[in-house]
Amino acid sequence: MEKILEISDLRIYYYLPQGIIKAVDGVSFDIYKGEIFGIAGESGSGKSTLALAISGLLRPPAKVVSGRILFMGRDLLSLDSEELRKIRGKEISMIFQDPSTYLNPVYTTGLQVAEVFEAHRGGSARKYLSMVVKLFRMVKIADPERRVNAYPHQMSGGMKQRVLISMAIAERPKLIVADEPTSALDVTIQAEIVELLNEIRRETGSSIIFITHDLALLLEIADRIMIMYAGKVAEIGRAEEIAKDPLHPYTKALLASLRYERKKRLQSIPGSIPSLISPPPGCRFHPRCQYAMDICSKRDPDSININGRIVSCFLYGDHHGGDFKR
Amino acid sequence: MSLAGYVAKRVAQAIPTLFGAMLVMFILVRILPGDPARLIAGPEALEQDVERIREQLGLNRPIYVQFVDYMSSILRGDFGTSIKYRTPVIQEIIARLPYTLLLAAAAEAIAVAIAIPLGILSALRPRSKVSYAVSIVSLIGASTPIFWIGLIFIYIFAVSLRILPSSGAESPKHLILPAVTLSLLLMGNLTRITRASVIEALGSNHVITAMSKGLVQRVILVRHVLRNAMIPIVTIMGIQIGALLGGAVITETVFAWPGIGSLLVDSLFYRDYPLAQGIILFIVMVFIAINILVDVIYAYIDPRVREILWRGGRS
Amino acid sequence: MERREILKKIFDARKKRREEMWEALKANRAAYVSLYIVGALVIMAIMGSLVTPYNPYDFDLSRARMPPSISHPFGTDELGRDILSRILAGARYTIGISVASVALGVLIGVILGLVSGYLGGLWDIIIQRIVDVMLAFPTILLAIALVASLGQGVASLIIAIAVSTFPVYARLVRGVVLQIVSEDYIAAAKLLGKSSTYIMIKHVLPNSVSAIIVQATYYMGLSILLASALGFLGLGVPPPTPEWGSMIGSGRTYLFSSPHIVVFPGLFIMISALSFNLLGDGLRDALDPRTRVLLRRG
Repeated sequence: MEKILEISDLRIYYYLPQGIIKAVDGVSFDIYKGEIFGIAGESGSGKSTLALAISGLLRPPAKVVSGRILFMGRDLLSLDSEELRKIRGKEISMIFQDPSTYLNPVYTTGLQVAEVFEAHRGGSARKYLSMVVKLFRMVKIADPERRVNAYPHQMSGGMKQRVLISMAIAERPKLIVADEPTSALDVTIQAEIVELLNEIRRETGSSIIFITHDLALLLEIADRIMIMYAGKVAEIGRAEEIAKDPLHPYTKALLASLRYERKKRLQSIPGSIPSLISPPPGCRFHPRCQYAMDICSKRDPDSININGRIVSCFLYGDHHGGDFKR
Repeated sequence: MSLAGYVAKRVAQAIPTLFGAMLVMFILVRILPGDPARLIAGPEALEQDVERIREQLGLNRPIYVQFVDYMSSILRGDFGTSIKYRTPVIQEIIARLPYTLLLAAAAEAIAVAIAIPLGILSALRPRSKVSYAVSIVSLIGASTPIFWIGLIFIYIFAVSLRILPSSGAESPKHLILPAVTLSLLLMGNLTRITRASVIEALGSNHVITAMSKGLVQRVILVRHVLRNAMIPIVTIMGIQIGALLGGAVITETVFAWPGIGSLLVDSLFYRDYPLAQGIILFIVMVFIAINILVDVIYAYIDPRVREILWRGGRS
Repeated sequence: MERREILKKIFDARKKRREEMWEALKANRAAYVSLYIVGALVIMAIMGSLVTPYNPYDFDLSRARMPPSISHPFGTDELGRDILSRILAGARYTIGISVASVALGVLIGVILGLVSGYLGGLWDIIIQRIVDVMLAFPTILLAIALVASLGQGVASLIIAIAVSTFPVYARLVRGVVLQIVSEDYIAAAKLLGKSSTYIMIKHVLPNSVSAIIVQATYYMGLSILLASALGFLGLGVPPPTPEWGSMIGSGRTYLFSSPHIVVFPGLFIMISALSFNLLGDGLRDALDPRTRVLLRRG
């Protein structure tokens, strides 16, 4: 399968007066054509920073310290701003979490979507309005001819999110990065949006990075899932496999907290995300991990590949004297 | 709601306010010490003359009748008669109004031309020396009494350097000092608000969306930052019109600029109360009209507002 | 935990917050300095007339309009009075009038705001209309109209400025009331049978205090400028009272020959307004919880 995106050992730090926040600290993964790649993690895990980095939207005080982002073979980090601008919206696009604040209240939604065409084909946004109507139809916005002239505040949350989606698919990008696209919506609307994204993937062949804190959602929609914790990768694997057989203790804990109805008790993970300025030595998860061993507080585990599954944990591989735990 | 509908509603809203303003002026004049009939008649008049004038003015009738009379006269354009000039108040106002308008327009133009670009620049470069200087200067500007700075300007430019005239309105050069002085009143706040609102617009999420679409920097700046920043800026400009009108009164007095502001101060000095209250009411009416205009402009630039009809003002 | 321990924790937390606010204020050097200047001005206002080198009302035409010298550091005015003495004595008019009018304005505004927001209904409509009408007048004009009607004198000046400026506080307090009236603890208080007055005082006021303080300090600056402007126009306290604005007003005729008569009082007006504005800025930053958090992190 064709690789769209290759991220190698990416580190992104925030340089703040109170210290350096290591938001993304050595993350590597690949995205293939046409797949839905889910990224799961709590807030503070670095997933949103990752999303912005892929689109080249990082602003100071964030800085990419090291690593590579290869998109279709090109290193995005080495491109200048004009080259990045040409890619944004056309080959890599983004869908954001809160459609209310991510849409400009003083322009009609139609014009704002038309701006994507304007940015990459020139001319004035107005002349692309008919294409926007088609896009609106594609994302199932009812009465698209009228809605094109509507202002954001005249639309519901779900509809606004569809507008954002139509913006993201306008130029048939190869990669769509969706950062919590359903978190601000009702559960019923969530399902519709998720289904819509699936359909888009099928019809256009775009790859979608679906970022969310809701692992349950990813288990349903994603092909592969990456679990992030405190700026590092805990585990990457196919959704069905992770659901059946989670390897990393964090993944196990996350899944356990989802299955509470069976156990009849809400299992939350004790403790909280470590400070990203001065993370604990060793594995970032060890203070909350029930399987923690001595070595876990001393060294940071490397990522190991076990039959296509990537996991960073001393329970696996041969860090620990060749012992291959299950 | 359409723009026209909004205008209509806004005008309707202003009517009770206008009514209230007239009531306030009416009451204030009634509190005034002294007998208006005697004032008009003059200190030497006989008692029956004063009585005759009192009847003429209708001062014998019940107070609410007087008020209704008052209101209907105002609405007909009759603001009373000046004691000193013995001409209709409205006539004196119209004669000098153009000067005040000219001064106000010039001051506003100067303030906008300097404050907004400075504010934008200072927002785009938040930690630069420009930004720092701008905040200091605008703070000092907001704390300086305009009558004082006007006099200082006169001393520097008219007395010491002798390059500008000190008073009067004979030539365009005469407009410079008064207009600059008055503009200082506006510049301080305008710069600060411009800077704050551009900074806020720069940080808004829809700017990130605009960037993710691949739009060019310049387009993003103009369309998604400045256009949105305009909203609070226009708001503050509207609010400042009040200060502009009030400041004009002082500035005209300092520079002997023949507008309605200096006319007002003079009329108070001469105890020409019909003239004074007429001018004040006139200015208030103009102010109410301008506020409606500003609200309409505001509704034009911010579509969300058209759905809301607030009571009293914006918070 | 024992009740006493809990109370102590609350008190300690409050004390800590107050200390943090103080630290935040101190961090803003300009605001800190202006705090001292404001203090000095207040002292000057209270005691100024006691420490004047000359009698501020003593005029002597033979020594009129003398430029600054060692015996008269600020010179003498058009009637031969020592300007320094007049400035010292006049502080209590300019500053005193401003403080009084702000205090009165806050009082009126807070009461109206509480009534308007809490009692709602007809009260709200009436008070809102009154506020609208007040705001239809440019501030100076309203003050001028009021002073003209009420006559000259300190009292009318205070009333005029207070009436011209109370709408801001009324709006503010009303806003706070509307915001918290739907909160649960208000419903709880009502259920407990607490009277409206109690709720208003105990819950609404503390929430609005910091916003009111910030606004009040700004309005102090504004009132100083407003009071002196009225004095300049001859509408303030009658002569020969050494109010700074009227000193400029009467000294204006001699601007060409003796600018010092105008310069010094104005300088003091400016310094006063500036310090209050800086203090207001500093207070606003100090009372804003976000600033305090930033400072705490180091």
